[in-house]
Amino acid sequence: MEDHIKQDLIAIVGEENYTDSLMDMVSYSYDASEHRHRPSCGVCPQTAEQVSHVLQLANREHVPVIPRGAGTGLSGMAVPAQGGIVLDLSRMNRIVKISIEDRLAVVEPGVVYETLERALEPHGFFFPPDPASGPVCTLGGNVATNAGGVKGAKYGTTRDYVLGLQVVLADGRIMRTGSRAMKSVSGYDLTRLFVGSEGTLGVVTEIILKINPKPTLTSTGMGTFDDLEDAGKAVSQIMHSGILPSVLEILGRETLRAINQNTDLHLPEVDAMLLAETDGYTQEETNFQMAKVLEVFRMNHAREVKQAESEAEAADLWKARKSAYAVLARIQTHFVLEDVTVPMGNVAELLKGVAAISKKHNLQIATYGHAGDGNLHPQILYDGYDPDQVERREAASADLFQLAVDLDGTLTGEHGIGLSKAPYMTLEHDPVAMDVMRSLKKTLDPNNILNPGKMALEG
Amino acid sequence: MKSKYEFEAKYREQILQCSKCGFCQAVCPVYGSTLRPAYNARGKMLLLKEVMDGHIELNDELIETLFQCTTCASCFENCPSGVNVPEIIKEVRKDMVNIGSCHPAFTGMNEVLQKHTNIYAEDEPEDFERERNKKAEYVFFIGCVGSYREDEPALAVLDLLDRLEVDYTLIDEVCCSGVLEDVGFQINENLSRQNIERILATGARGVITSCPYCFRTFSNKPQYAELGEKGVRIMHVTQFLKDFDFGVKTDKRVTYHDPCDLGRHCGIYEEPRQIIRGIAPDFVEMRHHHAEALCCGAGGGVRGAYPKNSIAMARRRLQEVEEVGAEVVLTECNSCVHNLSNAKLRKQKFRIYNTTQFINELMEDAE
Amino acid sequence: MKIHQYNMPDDLSYEENHFWVKEEGDLIVMGMDDFAQVMAGEIVYVQLPDEGKRIKLGKKFAKVESGKWLGKVFGPVNGELVAVNEELETNPGLINDDCYGKGWMYKIKPDDPGEVANLIRGPEAVEKWVLADIEKYAE
Repeated sequence: MEDHIKQDLIAIVGEENYTDSLMDMVSYSYDASEHRHRPSCGVCPQTAEQVSHVLQLANREHVPVIPRGAGTGLSGMAVPAQGGIVLDLSRMNRIVKISIEDRLAVVEPGVVYETLERALEPHGFFFPPDPASGPVCTLGGNVATNAGGVKGAKYGTTRDYVLGLQVVLADGRIMRTGSRAMKSVSGYDLTRLFVGSEGTLGVVTEIILKINPKPTLTSTGMGTFDDLEDAGKAVSQIMHSGILPSVLEILGRETLRAINQNTDLHLPEVDAMLLAETDGYTQEETNFQMAKVLEVFRMNHAREVKQAESEAEAADLWKARKSAYAVLARIQTHFVLEDVTVPMGNVAELLKGVAAISKKHNLQIATYGHAGDGNLHPQILYDGYDPDQVERREAASADLFQLAVDLDGTLTGEHGIGLSKAPYMTLEHDPVAMDVMRSLKKTLDPNNILNPGKMALEG
Repeated sequence: MKSKYEFEAKYREQILQCSKCGFCQAVCPVYGSTLRPAYNARGKMLLLKEVMDGHIELNDELIETLFQCTTCASCFENCPSGVNVPEIIKEVRKDMVNIGSCHPAFTGMNEVLQKHTNIYAEDEPEDFERERNKKAEYVFFIGCVGSYREDEPALAVLDLLDRLEVDYTLIDEVCCSGVLEDVGFQINENLSRQNIERILATGARGVITSCPYCFRTFSNKPQYAELGEKGVRIMHVTQFLKDFDFGVKTDKRVTYHDPCDLGRHCGIYEEPRQIIRGIAPDFVEMRHHHAEALCCGAGGGVRGAYPKNSIAMARRRLQEVEEVGAEVVLTECNSCVHNLSNAKLRKQKFRIYNTTQFINELMEDAE
Repeated sequence: MKIHQYNMPDDLSYEENHFWVKEEGDLIVMGMDDFAQVMAGEIVYVQLPDEGKRIKLGKKFAKVESGKWLGKVFGPVNGELVAVNEELETNPGLINDDCYGKGWMYKIKPDDPGEVANLIRGPEAVEKWVLADIEKYAE
């Protein structure tokens, strides 16, 4: 970093909150994706004013600024692809306020998801999107990627819970969006513009989240299917049951086999296993809902249908789903976790298509995911040191994205575009939409300092 | 292609297995108290990957992170990919020492142990008013922290053993020097020889210690294999005492802190709890316990090299004591007692003891 | 006065383990002297016993630690501990920054104010004592 910029940054955040040491630069080069690039320095602001001054400086000097939370994003959103200043927001981590009467929580972006969850628990409330990285990811990151999670089917995603934001724009101006009122249609919905914008339009420095009372009881059940298409149909037909399960997860054959090879869970090796959860305030209610779900499973030729009789049994059922990522991570040297999402009615087709792609490119693809909102996670396993496999993996991903789009779906349900999926934006978005996105970007960030190089915004 | 460094030769596959998911950030005590990604397990693996790629060399700039790890193994415990970060760190520290890049506290420690009997270079251990080097059934080995930093818990366990009429002797002990293996050096064989000779000279059939670290060193390190070969059993004091009936009770709310070296590293979780449940009906677990216990921050040499961060980690652990409203927190590791005691704030009214120390106090009060 | 690089103010009395003592009304204030804080290195922990603790002349009543050193704090007089510097709980480094000012450690009410006279006092005595210790610790 040029010395005068370094001195200015130190003047803004303090010496102890500026770093350009080798070990920090290496850490800041990465997130949880396969991308890497060194930044020039990192700063840890504590207030929106400091963020504002940093951006003013960067905007003047045309230096990229990359906001960062816990760095657990899967698509390269936090990787400083063009160098610059990493804006590490993890130390801006106060829970500013929890108001049960107003049904909201106000947090700084660095608050870890699980920290908020724990703070809400004594009140009997929760912030429903339940990302798998909850113990580590930050709410700022959740907002930047519109994070989802296992509860998406019934409770939606982060976007559905952001009432308002404080945002610092590229030129340093600070603004507020939204309202503390539970609903508002006053002016453009700027909140929704920023949610999911992956740090390319502004830096979020405060988040007003809507929170829900947390149902106290759950019922857990599962169904196994010899035929993938039956499983897919079961998923699609859940909507006809009249109820929304709070969780509806799927585990594909490859996944089940991998889990069995690496644990002693002894799961049935079938085409698909569906794990369901219903929630409510009385056991009658949750059981009633679960019975409906299991009925749908049966109607679609489930081989085995089971409801957990105890908490321990429920935990066992969940263990399988929770171990999928870890087990698959150990099989090959590399993997890519995709998150293509399609309308519920096309889930069966998507599953079949994934199997075909796996065969076509001769790569192991294990699928699991949030069947309940059509969001699958095909995990493509490959040897990253074999250039041929790397090529085949890239081709498989491309086919996967095309398939999703063909099925009226989207490239990404919750992980974001970042770097990984940027080349495929035009598969999903027509030229006019791309043009509008780029115009918005130019309007709000004319010098392209905010997380440049992401989301195919550079035409 | 021959690996330039030993850590790569031994652990290349594992380091590559790190998928950069970052889940270790949830449990790493150094990251938790500093929020600096470079200190986290992932941050360390990323550095080593770049070293293996040839992008960077091992050098002094990396000392601050490679030597700042308590080796608590919480990361390993939680890693979806099964990367054994502490073992990798211990190996890379040896590579660092080989190239002359080491934290001065550890080069210092290695030098101190060439000339002194203990890591603190102290000349006079606490007296403990007991004979040393007698013939006895057991040797009680105190360890450096108990002898020179936390003499009260050390004295208490000896008083307790006396009350229970255990036939033991102290020896003219020297540092087990196990810590050197973890900070880039080797066990000091001059010292280990002395310990073995003096233990064998007592004719003891077992060595009991309150220090989980000495326990691990005697049990696992080849330099101490002769003890096992000669039929001398190594026991942690909680293993030794688990079936005793102490005949005392407390009505205070008590919780237990699993020392990393006893819990995650040795799998000894239940013996201490068995003892505590016998004396404390109101026993509660902290939020993180057993294999999930939060490290007190002292291990892996961190208390010597990075004392401020070490105490900050201990402070985090003590918040969990407050959370469960415990009046007493028990553990069985002098190093944990030391660091937690240093970190305790005056407004925190709970007390910190080794279990043996607490039992001794209860027995004393009962008299 | 300055003895080598160590600052040892003339208006203070000193306890032989390198703690300074100052009279303040009917109390005495004590802390570590410059020689001790330099030798110790960065202080990371100061034991702060409860107010009301009995202090006995020559007996250890608290401990101080740096990364590599454990020091004992001995009673300079007989008396009662009436106050501790609570800042040192979260900022023990104040002893290194300002050992005679912000880094003060304890306030004691002596049973017999006259006992302070037994401490090391006056430029001649202080110089002799410090020079001897400089030699003792030179290694």
